[in-house]
Amino acid sequence: MVMAPQQAERKPATTGSVKTPMTMTEKILARASEKPHLRPGDNVWVNVDVFMTNDISGPGSIDIFNKEFGENAKVWDREKIVVIPDHYIFTNDERANRNVDILREFSMEQNIKYFYDIKDRSNFKANPDYKGVCHIALAQEGHCRPGEVLLGTDSHTCTAGAFGQFATGIGNTEAGFVLGTGKLLLKVPPTLRFVMDGEMPDYLLAKDLILQIIGEISVAGATYKSMEFVGTTIESLSMEERMTLCNMVIEAGGKNGVVSADSTTFKYLEDKTSLPYEPVYSDAEASFLSEFRFDISKLEPLVAKPHSPDNRALARECKDIKIDRVYIGSCTGGKTEDFLAAAKVFLASGKKVKVPTFLVPATQKVWLDIYTLTVPGSGGKTCSQIFKEAGCDTPASPSCAACMGGPKDTYARMNEAQVCVSTTNRNFPGRMGHKEGQIYLASPYTAAASALAGYVTDPREFLY
Amino acid sequence: MAAYLSHVSCSATFTSSASKNSFSPSPLSPSSIKVPTFSPLTVKPFSSMFTPHAAHAITLTAHATSTPSSIPSDTSSTTTFHGLCYVIGDNIDTDQIIPAEYLTLVPSNPDEYEKLGSYALVGLPSSYATRFIEPNETKTKYSIVIGGANFGCGSSREHAPVALGAAGVKAVVAESYARIFFRNSVATGEVYPLESDVRICEECTTGDVLTIELGKSRLINHTTGKEYKLKPIGDAGPVIEAGGIFAYARKTGMIPSQS
Repeated sequence: MVMAPQQAERKPATTGSVKTPMTMTEKILARASEKPHLRPGDNVWVNVDVFMTNDISGPGSIDIFNKEFGENAKVWDREKIVVIPDHYIFTNDERANRNVDILREFSMEQNIKYFYDIKDRSNFKANPDYKGVCHIALAQEGHCRPGEVLLGTDSHTCTAGAFGQFATGIGNTEAGFVLGTGKLLLKVPPTLRFVMDGEMPDYLLAKDLILQIIGEISVAGATYKSMEFVGTTIESLSMEERMTLCNMVIEAGGKNGVVSADSTTFKYLEDKTSLPYEPVYSDAEASFLSEFRFDISKLEPLVAKPHSPDNRALARECKDIKIDRVYIGSCTGGKTEDFLAAAKVFLASGKKVKVPTFLVPATQKVWLDIYTLTVPGSGGKTCSQIFKEAGCDTPASPSCAACMGGPKDTYARMNEAQVCVSTTNRNFPGRMGHKEGQIYLASPYTAAASALAGYVTDPREFLY
Repeated sequence: MAAYLSHVSCSATFTSSASKNSFSPSPLSPSSIKVPTFSPLTVKPFSSMFTPHAAHAITLTAHATSTPSSIPSDTSSTTTFHGLCYVIGDNIDTDQIIPAEYLTLVPSNPDEYEKLGSYALVGLPSSYATRFIEPNETKTKYSIVIGGANFGCGSSREHAPVALGAAGVKAVVAESYARIFFRNSVATGEVYPLESDVRICEECTTGDVLTIELGKSRLINHTTGKEYKLKPIGDAGPVIEAGGIFAYARKTGMIPSQS
């Protein structure tokens, strides 16, 4: 099923005559640094197209910007900065609330065009600007465009690679630098190529694919490298599924992940952005560090067992693991299609969940979709109705919520040592709160199936 | 009159570091930013010229050898660390270094910086019987942290190297690093992210007395009597020595000083 890493393969040409072949990542960085050609290892100054920050890292970044560039300094471009409060929003923690205020002050001062503010924490719907989880908001609001460079003060900024752009996370100090100059010094990463061909089985989701990969190469397997996903399976994925794939690139240590822009991408972007963009593609003769091939037809639903995202196991081999709760949410597994997937399993079963099942839509839009979109084969029921009938908790206010624990009063935070199946991205000790908590990372299908059984469960138990 | 960030409801007021008092606003001049050759992993000389960015007339000039004559070529040649070491394992992620619930603390706020330090490595499981920081203490007695592979993996939060630095850590010696943690350590100048050739984490015990000679890339464990070679810190050394990328850029004259 998985071949040993091998040298780059020659594939049919994707572009015309090319002087020196480059991978997609190399091309994006070459254009952004205004150089005709780049090689892995080159250190280059890159022009940033979009910079994103949130409530966790924004205040520190802003402080550094003001300290280094001056209290009266202006940001490099008020239209290229997106400020998205999303992490610790619905909490009484004073500092967390103060941090959102800091974002607001800064956005007002700098006249930041895109600031997705929230003032009324008691009712997220009362905030017309508020979106929710930054990486999903970036996509939904049209800030992700093929060929561009997107930097954000959050490790899952790599999610945007799904749009065929270079997207990666940076810390506060570098963010301060970007705020002032719109540039950053980056080292060009070599690219690992992941080829996935074949029709996606209807019990698998992109989450299973990325868990497969991380389990294969380990949590440091892609350190300092770019991960490029190609193949017919990848081409068949929706934008949200591609986002799930690229989201967990960081869990393999990856610098960035990319999926080629195609008609799926263009269609998604049609109603979201009017800014021009120019996709780039890896040259046929480009050099890749290694290539991994997967026969999709042989893959099965997976989990990542505690306490590492590379602790891969077949879901069906964990069926004796009794669980205490299920969490469906986050940038990884809280998008509209993730909830539709979970609803599909609940619908197929018709039964009620055996453990508390927390649902946290990533954004306001996702929340709305849960309440308005009908689930195929349900006779016109919405996701929310199916969730209610299955006994899930009411979908919560959109935010990052308990994916990373948070202040003690965060919704669905694990405050006791429990076993949780989660559609989130990390399961290191203490990730969702309690240090002895045990987190099994899984797809929305697997999470829903596990909720119904009260044990870690392969979704085929319910889908067939 | 310098504008000052005022906040609606907060228990701690924002103050910048001491240099702010003598700060005369001279922000980075758009026409005179020179770029340091910043290369954490390899020493790779490069030169390039940038044309002014359309929207913002910054001219960045990168130099192949960027150290002006007033700065010694190896400012870390005499830097030595001496102290107790704390040994942890592989894949120590940012949630263990500084659990997410403390991320409401803003590192650039001096009071909150100290608080962050007091929580450093508090996320380690209870299998680590010896705690990094004693109860009721805010600083650690271990100035050197020894780690395994992929140290600092997980989040991009700069709070991670900041917490270690604030707690009193001078250097981390690990088999390998996750890239964002490494970058953040250098950019903030909080800790030296040193790399060992062998798995030192298996040969040292918490409480061992160590000396690190940065210039010689050498680590000595006085308790066991063993010596180890470290990978040279290279270009990243002077940046950390200066106190981070901005401080380094000012120290070497690449951007105007604040005062």
